[in-house]
Amino acid sequence: MKQFWRQNGLLLLIIAALLAILISLGGALMGGTADPLSDLFSVVSTPIRSGVSAAADWVESIYGYLFRYDEMSAELEELRARVAEMEQAARDGEDALRENQQLRRLLDLQAKRRDFVFENVRVTAPSTSNWQSTLTISKGSDFDIAAGDCVVTETGVLVGVVSTVGLNSSVVSTIINIDTDIGGMVARTYSSGVLEGDFTLMRDGKLKLSYLPDGAQLVAGDEVLTSGRGGVYPSGLVVGQVEGVFTDPSGKTRYAVVQPEADLGSLIEVFVIKDFDIVE
Amino acid sequence: MTRRDQMIKWLVYTLGLLPVWVLDAYILNRFPLRGVSPTLLPLAVVAAAVLEGAFAGAAFGLGVGLLWALGYPGMGGSAVLLLVLVGLISGSVTQYMLTQSFFGCLICSVGALAAQEAARLLWALFIQLAPLTVLLEVALYEFLWTLAWTPLVYLIFRLVFRKVGLNRLA
Repeated sequence: MKQFWRQNGLLLLIIAALLAILISLGGALMGGTADPLSDLFSVVSTPIRSGVSAAADWVESIYGYLFRYDEMSAELEELRARVAEMEQAARDGEDALRENQQLRRLLDLQAKRRDFVFENVRVTAPSTSNWQSTLTISKGSDFDIAAGDCVVTETGVLVGVVSTVGLNSSVVSTIINIDTDIGGMVARTYSSGVLEGDFTLMRDGKLKLSYLPDGAQLVAGDEVLTSGRGGVYPSGLVVGQVEGVFTDPSGKTRYAVVQPEADLGSLIEVFVIKDFDIVE
Repeated sequence: MTRRDQMIKWLVYTLGLLPVWVLDAYILNRFPLRGVSPTLLPLAVVAAAVLEGAFAGAAFGLGVGLLWALGYPGMGGSAVLLLVLVGLISGSVTQYMLTQSFFGCLICSVGALAAQEAARLLWALFIQLAPLTVLLEVALYEFLWTLAWTPLVYLIFRLVFRKVGLNRLA
């Protein structure tokens, strides 16, 4: 044993310690950008990741067709009914929009306009850790994706925020991840708070809307949106629905548990918002 | 054993690692059990260390640790150090106290996974991630669910070992 240590063991440990320090320092210094070693690894492993992802999606679709036919059929019926309702709501909405525009003009309000620049990406790998909730997407800095960009579904539902960008892939920290910290508000009451990840809730696929104002009267089912405060993230992105309101263990503040609208476990294609303007 | 033989041997071990990595990084995490996916890479290091000894185990741990640190989001550089230690200790324990068998691999896997979960728990408690009961639940499920994959991982590396293990290529 002593001979082993004298010969090679100590050298290996020193190499491992140096590598550990190098990788940790690289991760810390590069901020939201992947360090060159991780980037190189990501580029090399891309074909495997894409291949496995495509194969798994195909198997899942076959499985869904074979074993969830009844479930899918019922879902289709429900969706048809919802589409009909939404078409009616859209017709009503058009009238409301016209009226709203007239009122805006009357009140001399400046219309707010947001210009989203989208980049469509594929989800190539789900979370690899039980202690975090992340997704790997198929594009990176070569498509001008940057850390902090919001990721949404095709219906504009918030999925998460890009946390690390590599050359041809990026890591998205989902909205239920423990590092989530985004301004949020309840659409019905305009009560603002902070959307925060919580490890206990993350396990159930949920997140918190913390620091609610004292007078906020929330009910289950209230829609939660991003508030856009500070201009870091776009406003008005749908996050989810309020499931319940609770008091903090300290007894001083209240928070709402939010059930995300996006089904984070079954995303295939998502959209990165690369740029947005808020013109006031 | 010539340098060429050594290269072939570790190339075959790397090929043995490939299905374990694909399973771990891209397949099993799509089907979590009670919200938990297994972490198979430490098992691969244990299996190689049990079959090949301390130094080879540590060297394999270095390679797998790099894969873990660079290829998995959120994993820090400490993964490299952890897996080198796992390889080193598993190989040493098998050489001097246990037998080079599945039983030895299972015992070493229990130790390695327990150490990994303990490290994660300490980190999570340090940053006050969640109450201890919640953290313990995740750690326990992760430990048990990962341990359940020991036979498959050991079988893969046992097959590799029977082909190219120790000095078989010489």
